[in-house]
Amino acid sequence: MKFTLHIVPDGEEEVIVYAKEKSALCEKIRQTCEEFSLEIVGYGEKEAVKLSAEEIVCFTVETGKVWARTEKEIYAVKQRLYVLEEMLGEGFVKINQSCLARISAIRKFEYSFSCALKVVFKNGYTDYVSRRCIKTVKERVGIV
Amino acid sequence: MNQYLKAFFHRGLVFGGFGPIVTGIVLAIIAWSGVSVSLSALEILVMVISTYLLAFVHAGASVFNQIEHWHISKSLACHFASLYTVYSLCYLVNAWIPFHLTAFLIFSGVFAVSYLIVWLAVYISIKRISEKLNKKIEQ
Repeated sequence: MKFTLHIVPDGEEEVIVYAKEKSALCEKIRQTCEEFSLEIVGYGEKEAVKLSAEEIVCFTVETGKVWARTEKEIYAVKQRLYVLEEMLGEGFVKINQSCLARISAIRKFEYSFSCALKVVFKNGYTDYVSRRCIKTVKERVGIV
Repeated sequence: MNQYLKAFFHRGLVFGGFGPIVTGIVLAIIAWSGVSVSLSALEILVMVISTYLLAFVHAGASVFNQIEHWHISKSLACHFASLYTVYSLCYLVNAWIPFHLTAFLIFSGVFAVSYLIVWLAVYISIKRISEKLNKKIEQ
């Protein structure tokens, strides 16, 4: 398959796919484009910043608020977790009732004698996969 | 309130009701199978409350495995101890086992072996899932 990249510094970014038919790859490209286009406003202590989905490692619910965790920072966001889950699509997966994880930001999964499945993110943050979410996590990562 | 204590109560409240429901289903099956079941109002009340507490603690105890700063042996010990205590009390107050040392020791042995089998099954399953997931995300 041919890949062509045109660098146009001042133009609007656009991805055009020429395909013989709709395929899983087309769908994947569409989703990636949508995720890149999404912007979420994160509120820090002093400033509000626009965050792209690619910057966010995961969303967590703590003290009744939704937080977006990036590589180094944590921002409060106004959307509820289920709204973010619907907005962000396949690239994110709910690993428990309080955490929506970006799949590509997961460094590894760990298991322990306590029979809990832990997710270690690339920024060092860790959280657990609840039993209820294991099936969805397996599907999204692609082992089912 | 401590977040783990809160999670314990939350899980307990969500799943506690399943205890009396399961007990009701078991009693119905026993009755349908032709065995005569005769319980007083007090016995039913004790059964409902004790099985509610059993399900409450059973569900809440899963929190012990998620307390980061606890050593795994402590989490497992607390999980086992809480389940063993609540199951023993529930079985004794409902007279599901005779109030006798030998019977209690047999119950304890069966409970410990069952716990070990369930733990092993879950551990092996989680280990396999974890390995598969890691292999996939490394690709």
